[in-house]
Amino acid sequence: MILLLAALAIPAVTGTSLIVAGRGSATSAEGNANLLSLAASVATAALVIATVIARPVVDYLWLPSLGVRFHFAVDGISAPLLILTAALSVAVVVHARSHPPRGGSPTTFYGCLQLVELGALATFYARDAVLFFVAFEIVLIPMWVLISRFGDSHDLAARADASGRFVLYTVLGSTLMLVGILALVQSAGTANIDALAAAHGAGMARHTQIIIASLLLVGMGIKIPVWPLHTWLPPAHTIAPTAGSVMLAAVLLKMGTYGVVRLVIAPLPIGFGALAPVFGAVGVVGILWGGLACLVENDLKRLIAYSSVAHMGFVVLGLSSGTTVGLQAALFANVAHGVVSALLFFLVGGLKERWGSADLATARAALREVSPRLGLALVVGFAASLGLPGLIGFWGEFLAMFAAWNPAPDRPQGLMRVLAVLAVTGTAVAAGYSLRVLRLIWSGDRTTPAHADARGGEWSVLAVLVAAVLVLGVAPGLVLNSTIKDVTAITSEVSR
Amino acid sequence: MSQAVVSVNAGMLLPVLAPAVGAAVVLVVDVAFQRLRRAHYVIALVSLVVGAVATLAGLGMVAGGARQTLCLPGGGQCMYAADSVASALQLAALLAAAVTLLLSWPDDKKQSRGGTAVIVSLVLAATAGATAVAGARDVGSWLVALELATLPTVALVALRGASSAISGAVDLLTTSLVSFGLLALAAGLWFTATGSAFLNPAAALMVIHDPTRRPILVLAVVVVVAGIGFKLSLVPFHAWTPEAYDGAPLPIAAFLAGVSKIAALAALLVVIRAVAPLGAPPLTAIAIVSAVSMTLGNVMALRQDGVVRLLAWSTVAQAGWVVLPLATVSSAAVRASGAYLLAYVLATILAFAVVAALVQTRGAARARNLTGYRGLLRDHPFLASALALALLSLAGLPPGILGVVAKVVALRPVVASELWLLAVVAAVNAVLGVAVYLRWLRAVLASPDSEAKASARQVPDGGASVAALSVRVHPATLVAVGFSAIALVVTSLSPQLILGLFGS
Repeated sequence: MILLLAALAIPAVTGTSLIVAGRGSATSAEGNANLLSLAASVATAALVIATVIARPVVDYLWLPSLGVRFHFAVDGISAPLLILTAALSVAVVVHARSHPPRGGSPTTFYGCLQLVELGALATFYARDAVLFFVAFEIVLIPMWVLISRFGDSHDLAARADASGRFVLYTVLGSTLMLVGILALVQSAGTANIDALAAAHGAGMARHTQIIIASLLLVGMGIKIPVWPLHTWLPPAHTIAPTAGSVMLAAVLLKMGTYGVVRLVIAPLPIGFGALAPVFGAVGVVGILWGGLACLVENDLKRLIAYSSVAHMGFVVLGLSSGTTVGLQAALFANVAHGVVSALLFFLVGGLKERWGSADLATARAALREVSPRLGLALVVGFAASLGLPGLIGFWGEFLAMFAAWNPAPDRPQGLMRVLAVLAVTGTAVAAGYSLRVLRLIWSGDRTTPAHADARGGEWSVLAVLVAAVLVLGVAPGLVLNSTIKDVTAITSEVSR
Repeated sequence: MSQAVVSVNAGMLLPVLAPAVGAAVVLVVDVAFQRLRRAHYVIALVSLVVGAVATLAGLGMVAGGARQTLCLPGGGQCMYAADSVASALQLAALLAAAVTLLLSWPDDKKQSRGGTAVIVSLVLAATAGATAVAGARDVGSWLVALELATLPTVALVALRGASSAISGAVDLLTTSLVSFGLLALAAGLWFTATGSAFLNPAAALMVIHDPTRRPILVLAVVVVVAGIGFKLSLVPFHAWTPEAYDGAPLPIAAFLAGVSKIAALAALLVVIRAVAPLGAPPLTAIAIVSAVSMTLGNVMALRQDGVVRLLAWSTVAQAGWVVLPLATVSSAAVRASGAYLLAYVLATILAFAVVAALVQTRGAARARNLTGYRGLLRDHPFLASALALALLSLAGLPPGILGVVAKVVALRPVVASELWLLAVVAAVNAVLGVAVYLRWLRAVLASPDSEAKASARQVPDGGASVAALSVRVHPATLVAVGFSAIALVVTSLSPQLILGLFGS
């Protein structure tokens, strides 16, 4: 119990004190702020791993008037996401050692990163639906500050636009989600996420379930993001600093899909079943839309943002299938996208700094010639992104398509098979854009203008992520075995 | 007939009597010792604190429990009843008035127009009206108390003497009179429908089986909503708000945004609670007024460049949120509305306090304009952090957890009654509200603009303007900022402190 509270308290205290008290004190020096947050992130990561092993529970009444409990716990579904969050929080701090933040005080930068970590961890730990909402909101302002103050655009207006869009879209999503959560809590009579899941919507009328599920799906669909609610994502990613992009893609987007599993699929099986075909269809539209956008996009950062839309489409497709395999696929693809997008955003952030822009149309030195380490990471990243077997990207997407081909009995089989076929087309598109990027910046013989290869903090972060891509590609069971028990608990009831 | 007409318990009436007596004492002291200025404020603060302490006895009452006095003989009905909701609103009104007084604390250089005694006694009188209306349970004292809470503010706005102040005061006076007319009409309708001068469920229940009188009661409630709508700044009765806020001195604008709103909602809640047991269907009128207020208030606030006008339009929008739960007539809705109001008042008073502090250090021109806030975080980290917390609370985003919880509280009754459309409108307005407050916050966080740097470079040349702008913030203002900021931080860490005030 102490472990779990400490895992939340460390980023909370470090983040707040860096922002409030850091200015003008000794920590305001770049290196000190980095060291302090590195220590905090490492300690948090150790505590998170300890909680994943020990599975402590924290539970006391927070708001008696509303019946909201301060209830945190860990289970198989949240464990991989917790570890992902904690590990990437360390990675962004290590990476920032060699790529210091620009545009504002370093204490604010590191403080905001800590608060983003706090919000994400609290979201994945939360076991009370209203508390989940509060935790969900914590990441907003720090991320807004990261994009609007530390964004790497020269254009102030673009920064204001991107950060504003991010925060406004997300607030719309989370407030709709709040309405859905309140309705769910009201009709189910409990805010306990485990109790909600165990009840499986018992005693709730079909139309009530559909209304609540649609509110929740639209709300979280903005966060995931699901086509056509994705339009905030590309500008936010394009403008955000590397650390912001990584946390946004690898952690914050996962909060949406995680919420769908926790608050829609488990407690509202009938409502979700009715909406699943539509949900799956927009997911597949996202796969194709994102992929096609990637084929013509010339800004590398924006391209990866669109590929995120496509990858999250596979997650959505897996969720909508309603089977154990589909849910497993979605949760695995969630983690896979977290690792791959983090790798790619670290890479592209570094390349953008070296090149001065992320424009693909400009002729550059081929990465395999001048910077073999960056080149290797890029090849692995895009190979994983196109779903090559043996790499991390393969399992989630392959299993999602498999699950869509064999959906749960209450899903329209014909439609789901059409969606599966379209998703396969999407992987072909993914191969197309991945190879396009590799052709443009990796292959070739040009050696000018030369740039430095990755080393130090940057290389160690990239190397660890490349290793994660390979290890989880070869041994997906590390994640799948963690989630299987809790996933079966959800789907066995769904298909009953 | 020789017995006393009503029983009087002065102890229970202390939240009302303390500021009222304070006002009288201030006037007497002013006549006796004409050169005193700060003493008036000390007397006023003491009376407000005494009143605030006296409300504590009424907090945490179990449902249905109330401290009643001014009762008719023979165990009859009472004209004053302070239950947990009324006591919580009284406490908030008294503390908000105290902060307002701290903000208007006289400094040595400027002689305030009308003298401090007039300002202080008017503030105290209006506060007494606000606390009285929360406890009023009969039509007569309800009406008189509500006007007592309103009319002094007209004078307070006008006292500055500038033409904008006069026009603001005229707007306020005109709308107050219209509002009073409507409320008097509503009082008449209430009496016609129920045959009782008491605003309590017993009176309302008399019409439950009478199909001819029930519509009259519904009409009375609708007219009350319209009349109170003026005071709460609900659309379409909001037009006076920006004029009055902008024309008034800052502390008085804070008073209008804080104490006056508490008085108005307290008056509305008295009526709503009286009719709640009737199990009325959702009040479509309130739902529409709430939705339109939020939307118009937020859209207009987005277009403002002056911070006081922005806060004025934000009041309009927040008033929509305050009455949002009341679209469903229930006791849960009453508690939600009160809790939301307190969260709003706390954050708004803090925002006004920071603006007042900045008027002193940076000059009115910069402090009243959004662009003047650029670089605030660098120049005044404490004030900037306090302002950021206030704005985020108003926007309902962490770290302003109180605002987040208030949003949850306000939406809950709406969702429970399955008013989906209203809930979605509210959700969209949450987004608009965030846009409004983040626009201000962006300026606070931004690096100082080139214009400010240029003027900073000219400092050695223009000695006089430097002296005017480098004035330190008055300690009383800092106390006001600090007190409100601490209150907001503490209630954000434990929102139950606010929610618990209203009982469960």
